[in-house]
Amino acid sequence: MIQVSELHFVTEDGIKVLEDVHLHVEQGELVYLLGPASSGKSLFLGLLGAHVPPQRGQILVHGRNVVRLSPPKRLELRRRIGFLPQGFVPMARTVHENVLFKLRTLGNYREQAEEKAILALEATGLIRQQGVSATELSNLDRIRLGLALAICDAPWLLLVDEPLEGLDASEAAEVCAVIDRVHTGHLTVVVATRGPLPALTREHRTVSLLDGRVSDE
Amino acid sequence: MSALPFLFRELLGTIRARSAVAFLLTWLFLFIFLACVSAFFLLVPTHVEPEGGVESLPIVEIRAYLSPRLSSVTIDDLYLDIRERSDVASIQFRFAQELRPQATGGVFLIRPMEPEGAEDLGAILETINGVTEIENVRAEPDQTESPLSGTVRIVLLVVLVAAIVLAFLFARRGYRELLRSFAGEIRTMRLSGVPERVIVPLIVGLGALIGVLAGTLLLVVLFLLHYTLAAPQAAATWAAGLASLGRVLGVSFGNIFLGLILGGLIGLLGVGILGQREFEALP
Repeated sequence: MIQVSELHFVTEDGIKVLEDVHLHVEQGELVYLLGPASSGKSLFLGLLGAHVPPQRGQILVHGRNVVRLSPPKRLELRRRIGFLPQGFVPMARTVHENVLFKLRTLGNYREQAEEKAILALEATGLIRQQGVSATELSNLDRIRLGLALAICDAPWLLLVDEPLEGLDASEAAEVCAVIDRVHTGHLTVVVATRGPLPALTREHRTVSLLDGRVSDE
Repeated sequence: MSALPFLFRELLGTIRARSAVAFLLTWLFLFIFLACVSAFFLLVPTHVEPEGGVESLPIVEIRAYLSPRLSSVTIDDLYLDIRERSDVASIQFRFAQELRPQATGGVFLIRPMEPEGAEDLGAILETINGVTEIENVRAEPDQTESPLSGTVRIVLLVVLVAAIVLAFLFARRGYRELLRSFAGEIRTMRLSGVPERVIVPLIVGLGALIGVLAGTLLLVVLFLLHYTLAAPQAAATWAAGLASLGRVLGVSFGNIFLGLILGGLIGLLGVGILGQREFEALP
């Protein structure tokens, strides 16, 4: 569950990016956060993902108040959050090695990491390309790999930033379908995008971020 | 399970031709630096055994030990008699205990006028009633000149400074190349919440490994020199320091420790590069 209240964020130049933002996301909910370029979507996800230290307001992620977490605890929380950043660039390894690297980095044993990697690649439809060098992937498959990396270690929360950027309509629909597929069980998902969204089959919620404020559409 | 060994293997696996050359040169220059430091400790001035042995060295002092039964008046008379001799330059009285803790009585410390006549003087003193023992103190053998002349010392210092500067320059270049190839991995680690206390030791560890390897190579070289060059003849001259196993061991382990410290410092150069934007988790 995510609970954001009275969240403000001002840049070093004094620009108010977020102003009194309130948002409640239930556990297991899939939320699309829509907003124009430079509206603060990436910053908002960075705050939710404990990558950007909050200035004012409260952010509760799975019962943890991000504002009050010590740096080690914040890192601990970050390990439980899958994050696909905007303009994701994979490592210069094969698809399989990319996922394996992240899992081993997080302390998984080799066998355990192998199993989780296969599951993540199956979920994102990349299993047939596991031996392909990640740098040779198409834009669509690169996003799939980013999603596989984000979900491979069973996160509580999945944050996806601009996954539809540079994709055509059919590819965008495919990415949304993959997000639908990985959004199972108790996984909470927040996807930030400029849109437009393709026709979505699964139940979801759409909120918009405009002029620093979040509102339900 | 700690991910450090896995990550360190992955980091080493990322070393490619350009970074490998830079790190090899770093290792080489660290080796040269440590070798220069060792030279100051191993190429030291030594005593030379005179051609005719220690016995051929001139007598500079005769110690005449006196019976503890002698009265002070007798000792005074003896003192005055010896001082009057033309072949005696000076005489001093000391308690024998000052020279030998277990001894009793007194001792005359006599400086002969001429070192050549000292043997005869000693023989005469030995015949005096009340003198129990004569001990000849010979001159210290000449020290050889240090194998490191002033010029050589200056050259060594210049090489030492140049080597450490070049080691740091090549290390920086190597780290830049290596971390550029490892940037995706670092971003992934940071994005996944891997703490800096896991990432930083990887980088410092690589530097420390290079330093330790330079020290270890020098250890091997010094031991080879110890067993080959430091033969008895050589040991008497410039390589005397190498002939001493204890000294070689001390210098070798000192080098490994110094290599570890310098390597760690070199690693900190790499850590400095990690602060650049391309390594940040979020663009």
